[in-house]
Amino acid sequence: MSSKPQALASVGPMRAFASNAKKISTELIEINESLIGFNQFVTEYYKQLAETWNVAQKKVNLKVPDVPHDVEQIDSFKRIWIDIFDNDFTELFDSVKFGENYGKLVSKELELTKHWNNISNVILQSANLPSKEEIDEVYKELHSLKKRVTKLEIELKKVNKK
Amino acid sequence: MKSESKIDPRILEEILKFSRNVIDAPKLVSAPDEISMEVTPHDIVQEIDKTRLLHYRSLTEKQHKTPLLISYALINRYHILDIQPEKSWVRNLLLQGFDIYMLDWGSPTSMDKYLDFDDYVNGYLDSSVEFIKNESSSEKISLQGYCTGATIATAYITLHPESVKNYVATAPVIDGWRDTTVISNLAKHMDVDKMVEIVGNMPPEFMYYCFSVLKPFEQGIEKYVNFFKNIDNKKFVDSFLRVEKWLGDTPPIPGELFKQWIKDIYQDNLLIQNKMFVGGSHIDLKKITMPIFTQVAVGDHLVSPECSMPLHYAVGSEDKTLRMYPTGHVGMIASSLSQTKVLPELGKWLAERS
Repeated sequence: MSSKPQALASVGPMRAFASNAKKISTELIEINESLIGFNQFVTEYYKQLAETWNVAQKKVNLKVPDVPHDVEQIDSFKRIWIDIFDNDFTELFDSVKFGENYGKLVSKELELTKHWNNISNVILQSANLPSKEEIDEVYKELHSLKKRVTKLEIELKKVNKK
Repeated sequence: MKSESKIDPRILEEILKFSRNVIDAPKLVSAPDEISMEVTPHDIVQEIDKTRLLHYRSLTEKQHKTPLLISYALINRYHILDIQPEKSWVRNLLLQGFDIYMLDWGSPTSMDKYLDFDDYVNGYLDSSVEFIKNESSSEKISLQGYCTGATIATAYITLHPESVKNYVATAPVIDGWRDTTVISNLAKHMDVDKMVEIVGNMPPEFMYYCFSVLKPFEQGIEKYVNFFKNIDNKKFVDSFLRVEKWLGDTPPIPGELFKQWIKDIYQDNLLIQNKMFVGGSHIDLKKITMPIFTQVAVGDHLVSPECSMPLHYAVGSEDKTLRMYPTGHVGMIASSLSQTKVLPELGKWLAERS
């Protein structure tokens, strides 16, 4: 863009439009890549849930014949069902395989969010609004200033006491 | 040959009654907005940023000399400690003659994402303690920490032991590696740097997910079946709705605080190893030498007893008491057991030292 003919051709808002469109396209391509990873972990997530459900249901089926046929049979069945399902699912949620997959799934979800944030930033900047990073800088500065003021206030109190 | 299915008419009656209750529910139940969560009268005596210091009005003529400050958890709001008069932790202690303050952490927004452990320990909590000392003309106060609020309180008293006379740790989150709960399993596998960098604060949705994997069928089915079964019981419905409203009120956790929390407590387990630093200061549990009362719930599925109990053995205090109760995380603070067993024992212990 530095050569004169190019600069002449790309001057004005259209230049920003072209550059922004390129950034957004890149993000959309990368979103697809993250989506593939996300799908892999979300599939595993539901596979683990489905497998646990099937095993728990089989355990319930084995217990059902023991439930007495009386007025409390619905409550008894419900109790057995809930106890077995809660135990089996808690065992799953407590396992390393679930923890690892869930961690990766959330990580991929965060990557998707990051791409979305990047697209939003491009749009914000094209509208002459501060990006998320710029707002974060302001928050950081505010936080640091508040801390400094608090420390100074404490020092001042100590001096006044003396 | 005719096949005859025999269904006990009482079962059919039960099913019909349950269906009627489901239909009648909207007429009998108040909307969450109609329920006020402010139970025991109090004054807001200090506000810093989004935090508020609540001072409960006395319910007795005579009071114990040393005031008690409650450092509530970072998850959900303080209302569970004052959920309804007959189950109120706060009201019970007031009736036992204690002067009660509560630190409400408020609801952080995006601009609070840089608040860290230092801000909570040496900022908000310290300011509250100093305020109470001045207002009550006491040199020291009693401090109670609940759940994650106890982790903050524990860090605080190692850095400011001169301000605290007695420490009550209720289901404290201390030893992350020993924690056997589902929450700790999720926390150990979390890329918390990435989460904070991209999302900022820990979003409430993530917390809702964590709650949903705790006894999912008991909490997701049985609880609501019982609700509809007891729809005519006004007391039961009121109590149920209050707890539900409290469960739904989950504020975000500031990003930097959350990051240090997950890393130092659950992933690297620095607190119990005396390797944690807050605002550049070393947290050494041996520096806790004041009387300490640790309360643990055997059936706690949010903070397992194995995670809380190590505090009792790690502190330098000679006057220390560990009590275990046959209940859960919330049951320990808001149930009939807490009113008849947990609070009387705590009140007796505190009164002897206040």
